[in-house]
Amino acid sequence: MIVFNEVSLVYPDKTQALFDVSVDIKQGELVYITGPSGSGKTSLLKLIMGIEVPTTGTLNVFDSPVKNSSLGSIRKIRRKIGPVFQEFKLIEGRTSLENVITGMRFLNITPKQMKIQAHEALEKVGLGHKKLSKVENLSWGESQRVAIARAVARKPSLILADEPTGNLDYDNAINILELLKSFRDMNTTVIITTHATHLIKDEEDATFLRVNNGRITVERRCL
Amino acid sequence: MRRFLFNIGYFLKESGRIIRLNLLSNIFTVIGTGLILFLLGLVITGADIGNRLVVMLNDEAEVNGYFSQEVTSEEMDVIAVKIGNMDGVRSTRIVDEDEAKSRMEEILGEEAKILELFSDNPFEAFIEIRINVDAMDAVINNVKNTDGIEYVRDNKEVLEKIQDITYALRILGYLMIFAVGITTLIILSHMIRQGIYNNKDQINTLKLLGSPGAFIGFPYVLTGVILTLLGGMIAAFFMVWLINSAYDSIGGTILFLPLPPRKELTDIMMLWLPGISLVLGFFGSLFGLSSIRERS
Repeated sequence: MIVFNEVSLVYPDKTQALFDVSVDIKQGELVYITGPSGSGKTSLLKLIMGIEVPTTGTLNVFDSPVKNSSLGSIRKIRRKIGPVFQEFKLIEGRTSLENVITGMRFLNITPKQMKIQAHEALEKVGLGHKKLSKVENLSWGESQRVAIARAVARKPSLILADEPTGNLDYDNAINILELLKSFRDMNTTVIITTHATHLIKDEEDATFLRVNNGRITVERRCL
Repeated sequence: MRRFLFNIGYFLKESGRIIRLNLLSNIFTVIGTGLILFLLGLVITGADIGNRLVVMLNDEAEVNGYFSQEVTSEEMDVIAVKIGNMDGVRSTRIVDEDEAKSRMEEILGEEAKILELFSDNPFEAFIEIRINVDAMDAVINNVKNTDGIEYVRDNKEVLEKIQDITYALRILGYLMIFAVGITTLIILSHMIRQGIYNNKDQINTLKLLGSPGAFIGFPYVLTGVILTLLGGMIAAFFMVWLINSAYDSIGGTILFLPLPPRKELTDIMMLWLPGISLVLGFFGSLFGLSSIRERS
């Protein structure tokens, strides 16, 4: 589903973010990208979303090449992804429900289906009772859940969560991770970046991409 | 298209939100656009009246052809028909000696007594030729070269002035329309860019979620169209008010100035000003939107 083949990424200011990354991520996999801050975790996500393109090497997402792709192709790729951004990127002045629906308006689903999926997603993240609350009135944790609801309501093939456990205490962090992992039931690939390795050290059925200074090592654990 | 229709309500709500986000600035945009379109309305009215004046003056454009001594009255008729068939000639009419004399008497008024000093009628028959001003030179030349015509009297200088006035009025009208169009486009595109800047975070989020450019951009186009349409309606309202007031105070007509019918003029304002504002709003918004183009 996602194939990195000797991918390197150099930013315009000549900073080399990634060196010769090669990894194959399959549909339904749970992937943790770990490593210290600034190691290149977010760069990997940016590549998958087509925000950055590989400087060298090839990257295919949903069998489409990211390099030299048209804007339309990149948008198509993004529509299959449910992103949970580190800073959430919720639209202020709107309710939780409106935020979730806004992420679906341009997808090929009817307004009725859109509302059903949005309500379901908010229920699933435990915010059904706050669907009409303006997002600026929600707590940090609630905002994060709205961001997750927006991502999953789209019924994506891939969920990308960038540092979803940052700023959360242990219990809430575990809850968020469990919530994200639960979407694998729909054969959705879930990719989570985190530097909180203690939260996932006991994971038995996942792939670990450990990033350090732009180089990655891959560890696969199976049940 | 279906998805677009599903989202009409959303687009309208978004436009309302964009307008409210920068309300004062948008109110000034509406007022500014309204004033510019009001100026355009004045230009259109002026051009309409000017065109009618030019048509009227054109209708009066004529040259006179004088017959040779040996030409008989039957031959005069034949010459008149021949000249009438020339390109650029709208009509011909033979003015006989008696009519020529009575015309001169009218012009001279009390001084017409002087004509009594002549035992015979000193005036000659001639042919009155109404022409299109644009074809003036060719017509004068052709009439001069017609057998039976001895000489042609023309008001070339006056006719050339009419031509110059027509040309100047047209150019002025086009310049004003061009200036109004460009000004509106610049104001609007600036306003749209401002709106985009104010919403850049939201736009960026939509891009990351894979939203098509048209979905992101349409509320801004709609906003531009709504604002200019409001400006156009304000301009149309004031123009209609001005026209009605002017017609009421002058009683519908000024001597020598051919005013168009009041209803015709007000209809033009009510149709054209909002129509032009719609087109300008659409293109101004598209122009402003070019700033959110994403690099591929």
